[in-house]
Order: sequence, then structure tokens, then C-alpha cells
Amino acid sequence: MANRHLITRVLLIGVACGSRLAELRAAAPTPIDFKRDVAPIFEQHCIRCHQPANKKGELSLSTRADLDANEVLLAGKPDKSRLLEVVDAATGAKPEMPKEGEPLSKQEVAVLRTWIAQGADWPEGAIVKERSKADRNWWSLRPLHAIVPPTDGVPMEWRGNAIDVFIYTKLKAAGLAPNSQADRRTLVRRVTYDLTGLPPTPAEIAAFVNDRAPDAYEHLVDRLLASRRYGEHVGRQWLDVVRFGESTGFEVNHIIENAWPYRDYVVRSLNDDKPFDRFVMEQLAADSLAPGDPATEIALSFLVCGPIDIVGNADAVQAAQIRADGIDEMIRTTGEAFLGLTVGCARCHDHKFDPVTQRDYYSLYATFAGVFHGDRPVAPDEQLREHAAKLAPLEYKKKQLQEVRATQLKRCKEEQHVAEIDRQLAEVDRQIVALPGPPMLPVGKFEQPAAEQFVFERGDAQRKGARVVPASMNTLADVTKGFELSADAPERTRRLALARWLVAADNPLTPRVIANRIWLHHFGTGIVATPNDFGYMGVPPMHPELLDWLAKYLMDNGWHLKRLHRLIVMSQAYRQSSDYHADAAKLDADSRWLWRFPPHRLTAEEIRDSMLYVSGKLDERMGGPGFRLYQYARDNVASYTPLEIFGPETYRRSVYHQNARAARIDLLSDFDAPDCAFSASGRVPTTTPSQALALMNHSFTLTMAESLAARLKREAAASNPAAQVRLAFELLYGRPPNDHESAAAVDLVHRFDLRAFCRAMLNSNEFIYVN
Amino acid sequence: MAENQDKIAAVREQLFSRRGFLADAFSGLAGIGLTALLQRDFLAANEIGPIDSRRWKHGCGRPPLEAKAKRVLQIFCPGGASHIDLWEHKPALAKYHGQPLPGEENLVTFQGKNGNLMNSPWPFAPAGQSGKMISTLLPNMARHVDDIAFIHSMQSKTNTHGPGCVFMNTGAIFEGFPSAGAWVSYALGTANENLPAYVAIPDIRGEPPNGKANWSSGFLPAQHQGVVLAAQQPIRNLNVPSGISPEEDQATRELVHFLDAGHATCNPGLSELQARINAYQLAARMQLSAPAVADLDAEPRSVHRFYGSDDRNPFKAAYARNCLLARRLLEQGVRYVNLYCASRASGVDGLLNWDAHKTLKADYERHCPIFDEPTAALLTDLKQRGLLDDTLVLWTTEFGRMPTHQAGVTGRDHNPAGFTCWMMGAGVKGGAIVGATDDFGRRAAVDPATVWDFYATVLQLLGFDHKQLSYYHNGLNRRLTDVQGNVLRGLLA
Repeated sequence: MANRHLITRVLLIGVACGSRLAELRAAAPTPIDFKRDVAPIFEQHCIRCHQPANKKGELSLSTRADLDANEVLLAGKPDKSRLLEVVDAATGAKPEMPKEGEPLSKQEVAVLRTWIAQGADWPEGAIVKERSKADRNWWSLRPLHAIVPPTDGVPMEWRGNAIDVFIYTKLKAAGLAPNSQADRRTLVRRVTYDLTGLPPTPAEIAAFVNDRAPDAYEHLVDRLLASRRYGEHVGRQWLDVVRFGESTGFEVNHIIENAWPYRDYVVRSLNDDKPFDRFVMEQLAADSLAPGDPATEIALSFLVCGPIDIVGNADAVQAAQIRADGIDEMIRTTGEAFLGLTVGCARCHDHKFDPVTQRDYYSLYATFAGVFHGDRPVAPDEQLREHAAKLAPLEYKKKQLQEVRATQLKRCKEEQHVAEIDRQLAEVDRQIVALPGPPMLPVGKFEQPAAEQFVFERGDAQRKGARVVPASMNTLADVTKGFELSADAPERTRRLALARWLVAADNPLTPRVIANRIWLHHFGTGIVATPNDFGYMGVPPMHPELLDWLAKYLMDNGWHLKRLHRLIVMSQAYRQSSDYHADAAKLDADSRWLWRFPPHRLTAEEIRDSMLYVSGKLDERMGGPGFRLYQYARDNVASYTPLEIFGPETYRRSVYHQNARAARIDLLSDFDAPDCAFSASGRVPTTTPSQALALMNHSFTLTMAESLAARLKREAAASNPAAQVRLAFELLYGRPPNDHESAAAVDLVHRFDLRAFCRAMLNSNEFIYVN
Repeated sequence: MAENQDKIAAVREQLFSRRGFLADAFSGLAGIGLTALLQRDFLAANEIGPIDSRRWKHGCGRPPLEAKAKRVLQIFCPGGASHIDLWEHKPALAKYHGQPLPGEENLVTFQGKNGNLMNSPWPFAPAGQSGKMISTLLPNMARHVDDIAFIHSMQSKTNTHGPGCVFMNTGAIFEGFPSAGAWVSYALGTANENLPAYVAIPDIRGEPPNGKANWSSGFLPAQHQGVVLAAQQPIRNLNVPSGISPEEDQATRELVHFLDAGHATCNPGLSELQARINAYQLAARMQLSAPAVADLDAEPRSVHRFYGSDDRNPFKAAYARNCLLARRLLEQGVRYVNLYCASRASGVDGLLNWDAHKTLKADYERHCPIFDEPTAALLTDLKQRGLLDDTLVLWTTEFGRMPTHQAGVTGRDHNPAGFTCWMMGAGVKGGAIVGATDDFGRRAAVDPATVWDFYATVLQLLGFDHKQLSYYHNGLNRRLTDVQGNVLRGLLA
């Protein structure tokens, strides 16, 4: 609104000035008002490069003082003012300024000229600020607008599911038509991968292909959603979003041995279909919702599972900045993961694109200011007290012994004495360790922060600006009730208030963002193609009405994600074939309008898990400490060396891999598993020779090829290579081979052996693509 | 609106042409023989002129602007190599040795309290035509000073090794950002498709602080990641596993190709399938070409002696071999070589890298002989072969060191407020000196320069406006130079 208003005013001035420019110059017009007339010109053309944070040519046009610090104009003398000289194109040449972007219009130049002529009044306190490109009317910041789509012209079988009505209507408008349903083999492979991350077995394929019941597909979907593999698969996607890593990162990069319970919490929550609003709240404020319950409080790992610099710094200025960086990391992840807003961009200055101010950022900073990285015992208060009471005398004894030891050493007493003290110390340590205590979990430590919290000018922790209190972001103030706590609000209530605000019924971002993430993993691309950025720099939604409808559906269905998955995979849009049509591709090559199901490559984890699964080697034990595909060595910093041989202890699903940061993992890194430095909104599949090298040459492929060969011999007639080849095709591709394929495969088996054939199959495209 | 359309198109291009460069490079090439491909490489590698900037597309092999350099060698001495003990002479340190640093008498830095000013343990001497003063610990490097442009006024944002190294390589102190080599790989693409575009050569003593984050592709597509290759370490997974004969390997590949070809025919409109088929062929060629380029035995003994790869000091010999490898890679058209001299921190400061906290003299008398002769030999060799004409050489470290000694010991603490980096080769004005620290070397005092200025200059020499080379990630069109960067014109030829 504000923007439009300003533009209108400038235009009015424009009209007033019009073509009678010379006349206007002569006959002094109505007095120029700085805020109304001049500030918008600076805002539009100058301020991006001439502000305190940028100051090109040492010039800022932000405040009166900035202006006075330079001699860019002479009040009352436009013709002697450099400001006018550089923007005036009257001579016909391109004006010197603005350096980038359109020159000022004649009307705008005239306004400046008149302003200077009238004395260049700049009222005290008027500040020119760069405006974000989007304001609070930006589409994603408006309330959900869920309409029931009209079904006119939509064929009967596309009317039953609102998704289909939306999709069909847009397809039709774009001159496209959807494909017919995919065949059953294709469909069962697609939906099994999509919901569990693993392929269907030949028996499961056959059962579905032969199931004549009208609700056969529905049954299949329900079985898959109930499978515990669902949580393992979808859980991995969430771990990407929250940048979950199991080492500290940075220079030290020590492994974190007790991080895995958070991963299990995510898998369990998804399998239990925990309402997403509850899931969000637990990750920010579980200590308020279920205090002392380790199974819930572990959710708080979300706050502190990002990379953190723990090297230690005696330089106080640097140490303060490192602390600010640690909180920044939490703010960014929270903003991107839940809100799809790049809040971190407002750390040093107001967001240049979205209506997120520096004050919004530091309100969140005040909210998180009491969160510190590290472990904490988690148990009900009473239990913590009991444990502390038992621990105290032991700790006291230990301290005494240490003091005695130090004194003895100083006095150079006989070594025997010291040895005896060491023995006693070891005994105390043993007792401390043996004391049954609450679990130590990496859920962060909470301290009451200083009451005074500030904006840090330009993000510099030494430059304290305006005071802030824990509060919600004004970005959404028009649509949902915010919160503003007192400066001394208890630490715990700050995070709880934020959590409640994130999942409030009228906060439109959180449901939009999660609905889009779910959609993304079924169709390969989100309705918003930039799932962590629903702001100006993101890609606008293909189907805004559909996105809102899905978000509303999710909330109306108790925030149960499985219901949304079910709705999506039950749609005709999802069930159509991936057949290619050149004509349609001309209009929509990537099938963004969904005229076909977009085929896609498996993710790194799906590839590795599938290799294990089809070879009969997948160890399906759930949860607990993870396995490693690297060798870990540590002195004062850590190193991660890739393993040459992956032993059977590593044959678990990839979600259980202990994901260290800055560790290059064969297969996983090659196939685009992200290094968990930031929130990753999705995988960008690349094609590289290193993938081919890893899949062809790593000993893992060879071992899997041998295991698969053994399985084929076991399960198909040992003396019948054609039958073995057929089984391999069923296992890996979900279909039997044609005659040519069978002949070529059998030929390789004859010339070499079954293992060679299996190695080829594991390297083939069809194995790692889903139609 | 037009801006918005462009933005959408750019993001869209990024998101949906995910087959990326390989697909682009190969889409028209299926069926062309190896010879043709190699010829094409050769031609591409020898084109340096700009192409129309509106038609320019990342990875197309040529820059949008006039370029001086086609490839980059970056030598990195991790640990915070001391500017005032190697490159920038500070006579005041001798004069005021043992006296407090004026104005900072109670200085607390990274490791704690500082003592008084400490003179460099080694004299400096004039070198070259220019008479540039350089530490006598670097007698061989002294021969090159007339070709080097020094930046004596570098400043870093952090005083910590890990973030510092990552900052110097990526322009960001946090992990997850692409390194300069990855940006160049993304921007220019490869000049020899049989080798990686970007190679990182870690030291035999181990990886630098923060390890792989130093050659990460960050948020750029994975193919731009630095491939690790060193004399002591072949490319990962390059060799056919033992127990598989070449015949079996070949027959297996043929079956893969047969199956993939059928699959691709059934799936028209999915160009990444063809890209994957081609990636297998490329990998096979890499299996031949990478060991060939890494085969240092192919070099005559005299060359080995010149580099020092037969030295009795095993660390020096190992680094010399990596220098030789770097030259061979550059010769074969690798775009960016990131060569390390020293490694991450160890339990003992200064033992494995340039981090001389406690015993500067002993530490640098260990590190300089490893660095000096092989590096100087590499530069001489590049020059003699004409490679310096279109190769840009960078020497970097993450920060400098304090003019004082640390309290109670004879080493120096970290100093991000002033240090030295340098450039040499294509487009660089030899003998130029940009900026200076104050009399004691404590802070950049004349023309302070940042890592963003450094890379703005590097990109300009490679034919890019650093403000235009960007990639969308989580809300921003990210750049190697953040929202900063001014070209250091003083060192341009």
C-alpha cells in the first residue's frame, strides 16, 4: 500500500511538472516537501549505493548529517550543485548517475532542482532507507485463501480430488492434457520409493498387479504409510531441512556421539504421524511442553545441531562475534525451515528484498539469546535434584584430591604419594561414572540472558544500536497476532512464545511451507520451486490456489502429514504415466504443470539403500547409534578418512549414517547428499564422472554385486542363467527383461560370471531412475 | 517486471537444467569419437577471447570479458604464515625489540596475553632488480620478487584458523560456501574433459584446517567440487577393483551401455540419461588420463632434482612432488589447482603448519626449507614453459602474525588485522606493491585490502566482473565477493 501511495504522489508531481518544465522552473511551484517528494527519489535511485552500509564514493544520502558531510549540493543554487549535475541528462548524454539503473526522469530532476532552489530542506529525523522490494502484501505473507475450485469442464475422474481439479484446470488453460494412468508395475515402484525410499519386492509387485479389488491402490498406499520405513525415508528429508549434523564442524569438527537420539525422534515422530504443529513446537520449546522427558526434550537438538566454532578465543571481540554467529545460525535455520523466509539477510541491515527489518532479526536474537550449545542432563526435576545430591560429595572429594595432588607435585614429594592420589582419583571418577544418572543429551543449555538486548549495527556485536526485546517478526503483523515479551521474560517462555506464533492458526507461512515440502518430494519440484525462500528472491508459486488449499487441508486435518501424503499420492495427477510427448514438452519441458509424472533419479540414500536391499543385505534394525563410512581420528582436531571397505556393520539404512560435517562420503557425497552446513531444501541431482567411478570401482559395489549374485543363485534355478537374469530385472527394475536384454545379459554371465552381470545392473540408469 | 522475469528465468535455469554442464557439453556429442573430442578440448583450451556477454553461459569455456588468465594456481600456506618474518620487512621491530607495542601494552589476542615487540629472528635482504626486501629464510623465492605483486595490507574477519582458511578460499567464514576454484569451474567449465576442472592437492602431512570445506563446491552443483589428487594420493575410486580383469571391466561397461541405451530410447525427453551415459565414458577416459598426468616418473631426473623431489627431507620431497604434479596438471588444462604447503593444526602448535605460537625460530626453520626451493622451482618452470603468460599464480594464507611475542614464549599469535598475500603471472604487474601495514606490521595501514578485493581482482583477470558472477541460494544471488570487492588495480599489468 505504502509503495503505491508514494508512486501516486510522484506521478502527480510529474503531471504537475509535465512538459512545461521551463515554465515551472521560472514560476516557483508549491513548496517541495522532502518526505513526500524528494525522499522517494533518493529511495528509488540513489540509496542502494549511497547509504551507511555501502557508501559508494564515500557518499551516503540517508540523513541530513550524511548530506552535510559532503558538498554535493549548495542550498538555493541548483546550478552549482554537484548532485544535480550528475543526474541531469538535459545535455543529451547519459547522466553520470545512477551508475546502475535507469536515469532519473525529467520530472524527478525537476523536483530535485526545485528542492535545492527552495533551500534543500531536510527535516530533522527524516531518514532515507532502502525499501525492500516486497512489502507485507507479498503473496506468501497474505492469509491463506483456500477456495473450492470450480469443476466446470473437468472430466469425471479428475473431480474427486481437489488437487486434480486445480491441476487439470491449469493444464487445460495452458493447452495441455494429462497423461493416462501409469501401468501398475510403474505405479507400485513409484509409490513404494516415494513413501519408503526402497523398491517393492517382486512379490509385492505381483500382488498389486494381480489385485483386482477396486481399492487395491488405496490399500497399497495405506500399507506403505503404515510402514516404519516411511519415517526413515521422510525423516531423512527433514534432517536435511534442519541441517542435522553429527560433528561440530569448523576447524575442530569433533564427532558428536550422542546426537542420534534426535534422528530417532524425527523418525519416530513421523511414523507416529505426530501433528506437525506439535512437532514444530517441540523442536523449539519441548522443555516447556514436556519438561524432563528425554524422549520429547531431545527435539530441542534442532536449536543446536548446526555447525559451531568451539576452538575457543581469548580475544573478547572475536569471542563475542563467534557467539553472535552461533545464534545467527539458529535464527537462519528457524526462518528458512519453518517460515521459508531468509531472515538471516536482515542481520546487518534491513532485508533488501523482503519486509524483514533488522529489528525483526534482533527480536529473534533476543528470543534465542539464552540458548547455548552443549549437553545437558534431561530428567524430571526431582530426579535431577536427587542425582545432583549424590554427585555433589563425589565432586567435592575429587576436587580435594586434585588440590592435594597439585600441592604434592609442587613440593616434589615422592612419586609414590602422587601415584596413591591418582589411584584414589581414578576410583572417584569410576564412582561418578557408575552413578546412575539422567541421560546427557545434546539439546543445548539454557541460561537467562541479559535483560538488555540490542540491534547490532551492521551485524557487529561491538556496535550496539537500539534496544530490543523478545518478539515476533513484524513481517506478519497484518495477518497474525504477534507477541512482545518483557526484557526480563524467562528464557523458556521466549522460545515457547515463538513456537506458538509459528504454528498459530492464522500464520500463513508455516503451513504453506510444509505443504510445499511434502509436494516437492512427490513431484520432484515444489509448487514454490525455492522451498526455503517464499520471499521476493524465491520463485513464485506455479499454483498459488492449490498451495493454499493444501495448507488449509493440512491444518483442517489436524496437521497430520500422512493425510497430506495420502491425498497427493491418491490423486490422478500423481498416478498418471510419465510418457513423453514432444508437443507437450515444447510448452512445458519440465512438466511443471504436470502433464506427465516427472521421472527422477533416486537420492544418494535411496541408491545406497536399494543396493543393499536388492542384494538381500540390508540390515533393517532401527535407531540407536549410527554407523560410519569413514575412519575417525582425533587429536585436538578431527579427521575423517573414507573407508575402502564397507563391512556388514554398515549395512543399515543411510539415515543411520553418523553424518559428520566436511566429510566426503563415497556414494553419498557423490550422489549429492548435502554437507549439513545449512538448511538444505532439497537435493539438486548432478551428473558427474565421480559417480561413475564410485559405482563402478568402490569395493562396496563389488561386494553388493557378489551378494546379489549369491541371492540370484539361491532364489532362481542355479543352473539357469536366464532365470537368474529375470529375477535380477524384477528386483532392480521391477519388470522382466525383453529378449534382447536377456540375451545380452546371459552372454556376459557365460563369458565371465553372474557377479559381472550384477555389477552392470547396479550401474545401470534404470536401477536409479523412477518413472 | 522484466527484472522479475529474468530472475525467474535464471533460477529456473539453475533448478531445472540440473543435468548441468555435462548435459550441455555432451548433448550434441553422443557418437563423436574420442579424437574429435580431444581436438575440441584443445581448441577450447586455446581460446581466450571473450564471447558476447549476453550469450555468455556459465561453463561455456570462455569468459564474458577480456581475460588475461586461463587458469589459476593457488598456493596456500595454512596456519597463518607470518608476513613480518617472510615478506614484509619491518625495521622498527629491530629498533624497538623488547619494548611494549605502543598503545597496546595489555594486548589479549587469540591465545591470550602478549609480551613485547619481537624482532624477526632472521635478517631481511634486498632482492631482484627492485631491491625488494625479503627474508633471508627464502633465498630461492627471493629470485622471483621482480615478477611478484605483493599485497601487504590484507585483512581477515577472523582470527581462527578454520574459519580463516575457509574465508580465504570462499569469501565466507562459515562452511557451505563454494571455494574460488569451484566458482571458476562453474564459471569457465573445464578445458580438458578428461581431467577434473578443479584439483586440490593437500600436503602429505594432512588436510588444512577445516579440511574439505576449503575445496568445497558449497551450494554450487557437486561437479564443481575440488577433486583431491596428490602425488601421495590418487583420485578416489579411480582404479578398477582388484579381481576384475580389464576384459571383464570392458564387457561390464558394454552391458551397462547396452542397457542404458535401451532405457534412454524408452525415455525420450530425459536428457540426463544421455549425460549419465557420457559420464561413464568420461570416467573411463579419466582412468587413463589421470594416472598419466600423475605419473611423475615420466619426468627426467634433472627436473626432479630441480624441484627437490629427491630431497632427504621427506616433507620437502613430498611437497616438491606436489609442485611438479601441479605443473603437469596446469599444462594439461586443469583450470584451478589449489596446492597446500603444510596441514591442519596438530597437538603442538607450529609443528605441522605455519602456526608459530611458541617457537617461531624453530618452526619456520622447519617450514621455510620445505616451501622455498620447490615453490621457486615451480615458478621458474612455469615461466620457462611460457605457462606464466596465461596462468595466474596466487599465494595465500589465512592471516598474519603479531609483531609481539606471546607472553612467556618466543612465538607470535594470530593477527587478522594485517598480512601479506601475493599474485604473479598472467596480467599481474611484477614488482608491484599494494598497501602496507604500519611500522610494526600490526595493522594494514595503507590501502587495506580484503579477500573480496583479492578475488574481485582474480575474477577480473579471468575475464569476469565479480559482481555479475552469481548463483542463487536460499534467498540471494550469492557471489564469491559477497556484496563487497574492489579490484586491486595497483597490481594489474
